[in-house]
Amino acid sequence: MDRLNRDAIIAIVLLVFCGVFFWATFDIRQPDYGVLMPSTWPRAILGILTFLSVIYLVQSLRQGADETELEDTACEPGIRGWVLYWRNPLWCFGLFFVYLATLPVLGMLIGGVSFVFVLLNVLGGWDRKNLVLHAAVALLAIGGMWSLFTFGLGVLLPPGMILGQF
Amino acid sequence: MIIENILAAFVELGTIKTFILMMVGVAGGLIAGAIPGFTIAMAVVLTLPFTFGMPAPQGLATMVSVLVGGLSGGLMAGILTGIPGTPSSVATTFDGFPMARRGEPGLALGIGVWSSFSGGIISAILLVTLAPQLARIGLEFNPWDYFMLVMFALTITASLAGENMVKGLIAGAMGLLIRTVGEDEAIGMARFNFGSDTLLQGFDFIAVLIGLFAFSQLLRDVRDPVAARKSLTDKGTIYVRIEHRRAVREVLKRWTIVVRSSLIGVFTGILPGAGGSIANILAYDQAKKASKHPEKFGTGIADGIIAPESSNNAVEGGALIMMMALGIPGDVTTAVMLGALLIHDVIPSPTFIAEEPLIAYSIFISFFLATFMMLGLQSFMLRVFVLVTRIRMYVLAGVILGFCGIGVFAINNIEFDIWTLVWFGILGFLMRHFGFPLAPMILGVVLGNIAELNLARAMAITTDISPFFTRPWSLFFFTIAIFSAVFPLFQGHRGKKKWTLFYLPVACFAVSVPLYMMGGVTRPILATIVLAYGAYTLWRRAQGGWQLEAVKRHDLVEE
Repeated sequence: MDRLNRDAIIAIVLLVFCGVFFWATFDIRQPDYGVLMPSTWPRAILGILTFLSVIYLVQSLRQGADETELEDTACEPGIRGWVLYWRNPLWCFGLFFVYLATLPVLGMLIGGVSFVFVLLNVLGGWDRKNLVLHAAVALLAIGGMWSLFTFGLGVLLPPGMILGQF
Repeated sequence: MIIENILAAFVELGTIKTFILMMVGVAGGLIAGAIPGFTIAMAVVLTLPFTFGMPAPQGLATMVSVLVGGLSGGLMAGILTGIPGTPSSVATTFDGFPMARRGEPGLALGIGVWSSFSGGIISAILLVTLAPQLARIGLEFNPWDYFMLVMFALTITASLAGENMVKGLIAGAMGLLIRTVGEDEAIGMARFNFGSDTLLQGFDFIAVLIGLFAFSQLLRDVRDPVAARKSLTDKGTIYVRIEHRRAVREVLKRWTIVVRSSLIGVFTGILPGAGGSIANILAYDQAKKASKHPEKFGTGIADGIIAPESSNNAVEGGALIMMMALGIPGDVTTAVMLGALLIHDVIPSPTFIAEEPLIAYSIFISFFLATFMMLGLQSFMLRVFVLVTRIRMYVLAGVILGFCGIGVFAINNIEFDIWTLVWFGILGFLMRHFGFPLAPMILGVVLGNIAELNLARAMAITTDISPFFTRPWSLFFFTIAIFSAVFPLFQGHRGKKKWTLFYLPVACFAVSVPLYMMGGVTRPILATIVLAYGAYTLWRRAQGGWQLEAVKRHDLVEE
């Protein structure tokens, strides 16, 4: 996707975002007291944001299509190429979401160690030598941090359903 | 009174535990600063969760130590490998790396370390002396002035953040909008919670910061699968011994460069949004211009190391002056410091130093102490740096992502904060990718409620909006906000369009008006000097027949 299209699309997304949020300002309750209504400040910001988004849209429409970013040229066309190009950040986000979703069950210690272990293998490779190294790194780093917060700083981290039984 | 406060701060910080924490902080900062791809802001942000359980002076001293260490850490990677550890040490590599390759890495490191130390000490002295004076000026501010000061901070940050100012302003406005989610500051009405009780409390500031900055940066660092599996650095001279004695002699011989560069650093730090990445290039450029042998710059001369290293360490002193005196963070790292103060229920404002002298002077003293610790620890950390360079980037990123989850949860002990982290991580990642600067957004998040509260206070006094443009300080900030907004345009057209000839004189005339309005003796004198300078510039240009000036282009490119 070239810069012209990309920037124009971002500007349109921003304008839609402003519209949705402006609509939501009508749900803000207006009390009988106070001079500055709770919706005034967000509306002022949204007004400025809308104005800037329009300028951004005009700017992006005026720009030439040849200004593609170098980074994007390395990405092969098509969804497969895009996924391949961004696979590492996508793995990070995906695994972090799984980590969060399973937090009530696995807790922060088991969940955290598992997350870091799987992530390191995904990013660094699954060969046998790496498995041991990644397991040790995950256990030492997250275990150490968990111990520091739990015993050193007295923070009650989520134990999860498994460790919560003990 | 000042002596009493300094002594009280020394007593507060003078415990073995605090000293150990500060040493660990400086050491951690030195390593974080030395790793290319990791920023000082990220190191300070990640330190924050560890300081929750500490008393405010101790927690802040630890964070200041990380900050000071981080500022000096960048030079290790820059000099030994040619890859700057942080954007603040870009210019250090111009002469540091050639000197190291010439066979004098110990001298290059020594000059870098002692220049950093000198810059840090000069800025610490200015911090202790200037911050209380600036705070006294800040006491003159009314809600209108404060509101305009925030608007100026956002405008200048956006204008300095990158090539596209519109993107910077959009990021700043987005930051302000994020801060409006939840109960409003003035009367506690629910806003943008879309029926969710969890959103009523708004987004936690620290979770937003860690998400926007640390999370998104880590994902960028591992984007390239091949680069992510490589060690941090594979080249360069690593085993060296710092030559302290020779370095001190070289630095002392060039004390004028040290002082000038440190002053450039402090001034750049005071400007909101302008950090070490700008100061080090600016100081290098000035040193080159003032030198009798500018052609030698870039070949590995001491002047080229002293200038950027003195200035980048001095920047934080300037940023802290602004944060402590007026409650306006000078850059992202001081925005995090401001967040740390808010966690301890301390709200930085012009009365901060007077009302919380123990905390304020603890920050001053810890800045001094950390600078001395940095000097002592640098030789030792050089060995640790060698070990860290062997770690592969994906290992470091994976482990830190795990730390982020634990650290963010520890803020309020609620899972929602980790969701905030991940959503803002995605947002930060997308913004970086699409070329939106993050600094204006961070400042928007930090300053959003300050702006709204002062707007509400101003409106409660009078619904007339004219004081925003007629009160001297409001007018002053409004004027410099306008000129800073136009500045990128001026830079782009300088030497090409006629109107740029009038930019500086008109700016001088405009700024002198509010200065005259302030009254007293000093400010009208200052206004007259500014006015005279504007008139002189205009006269010179008229004498020159309104010819466009040839703009000197330098071969300095900031990464």
